[in-house]
Amino acid sequence: MNGFLARYLSVFLEGALVTVELALAAIAIVIVWGLVVAVARLSRVRGLAPLAGGYIQLMRNTPLLVQIYFIYFGFAMAGFGLSGFASGLLALCLQNGAYAAEIYRGGLQSLSVKQIEGGRALGMTPWLTFRIVVLPQAVARVVPPLGNQFVLILKDTSIVSAIAVGELTHVGKLLSERTAATYEIFFVLAAFYLVMTSIVTTLVRLYERRVALLL
Amino acid sequence: MLPDVLIANFGYLLRGAVVTVGLAAATIVPSAVIGMLLALAKVFGGITVRAIVDVYLYVIRGVPLLVLLFFMYYALPYSGIDVPPLFGGVLVMSLYFGAFMAEIFRAAILSLPRAQWDAARSLGMRRRLMFRIVIYPQVFRLAAPPFVNTCILLVKSTSLVSIISLWELTLAGREVAERTFAPLQIFGGVAIIYFVLCYALSRYGLYLEERMRFAH
Repeated sequence: MNGFLARYLSVFLEGALVTVELALAAIAIVIVWGLVVAVARLSRVRGLAPLAGGYIQLMRNTPLLVQIYFIYFGFAMAGFGLSGFASGLLALCLQNGAYAAEIYRGGLQSLSVKQIEGGRALGMTPWLTFRIVVLPQAVARVVPPLGNQFVLILKDTSIVSAIAVGELTHVGKLLSERTAATYEIFFVLAAFYLVMTSIVTTLVRLYERRVALLL
Repeated sequence: MLPDVLIANFGYLLRGAVVTVGLAAATIVPSAVIGMLLALAKVFGGITVRAIVDVYLYVIRGVPLLVLLFFMYYALPYSGIDVPPLFGGVLVMSLYFGAFMAEIFRAAILSLPRAQWDAARSLGMRRRLMFRIVIYPQVFRLAAPPFVNTCILLVKSTSLVSIISLWELTLAGREVAERTFAPLQIFGGVAIIYFVLCYALSRYGLYLEERMRFAH
């Protein structure tokens, strides 16, 4: 086990780096994109809410793998091919953006209107009410479920290995085809994922403890 | 522009969809059983049992399903355990989703008001009877909406077994797309079939949620 790990550690680390890059890029985009979709879903502009609703339904009811294939193979055939990394990133963002939008929507809708009325009654401007009454509570409610979604994004990056992007799972798959040390490979692989997901989970728990009073 | 290639191959994809539905159905039942057992162990078990369940949940939740499928597909045969892919796929998915169902059932058990337990006890019910006619019916009703949502994730995740070359809807789509050079049409069609399956499930989940409102 030790010999194996020493020999292939750099290969695993390279794969883990790609996984982290993919996950961080997806998380950063999903934070913004999910909010955009949620605002569209709640907006009164004609046509915008059903459009966002349709997008959310479409994404939540189709598998990530099929979206990846659609983008990777389909776009190439249509003349604007994307790299494996870009296809995977796009699919991860489209799919998880829909879940994040629902989380944002839940957080915004769970706030009682009385809070806003209370702020206004105290003579606060709408912006001040939003900034010091609505926003802190909405953030406190939204961050924990978003954090759980980030764990899922991290795990979902493994699916991108299906189009041969050199992330952690793909590295493991290649090594297990080349060497006979399949058990070692999968224990190292699982350990890498456990460490990465544990970091995200721990950060979320710490945050939850800090904002517990706001909930 | 008519999706002629999709229409010509739609029957083949539908046969894949039948396998997908079968896979999902074959996985939902054992994962619900595993989930309930884990939830009961977590709520009523002693320290040792709870610790074991915790480790299990921690590992399963932290490792991607695809890695677990690869483990079954690549690693187990090395120690002479040759699992048939179909059985192995269903087994791994059941163990994986069982962990997610466990959380749903645990939340449902814990959300039952204490008075329900006390009332059943004070009527002199034995443990078995209490669970059968007081606890389980309410737990199932409370757990139903999130259970259905997890089933949607499960149906979507069955697509992953195509990567370990189990033939179902997604692999059928890959075969056809490679043969016809029409990936947009074919994967679009595959997505539509998944959408119909999952959307029907999600409507059912909403219906259950509506019904739940009158339950309490």
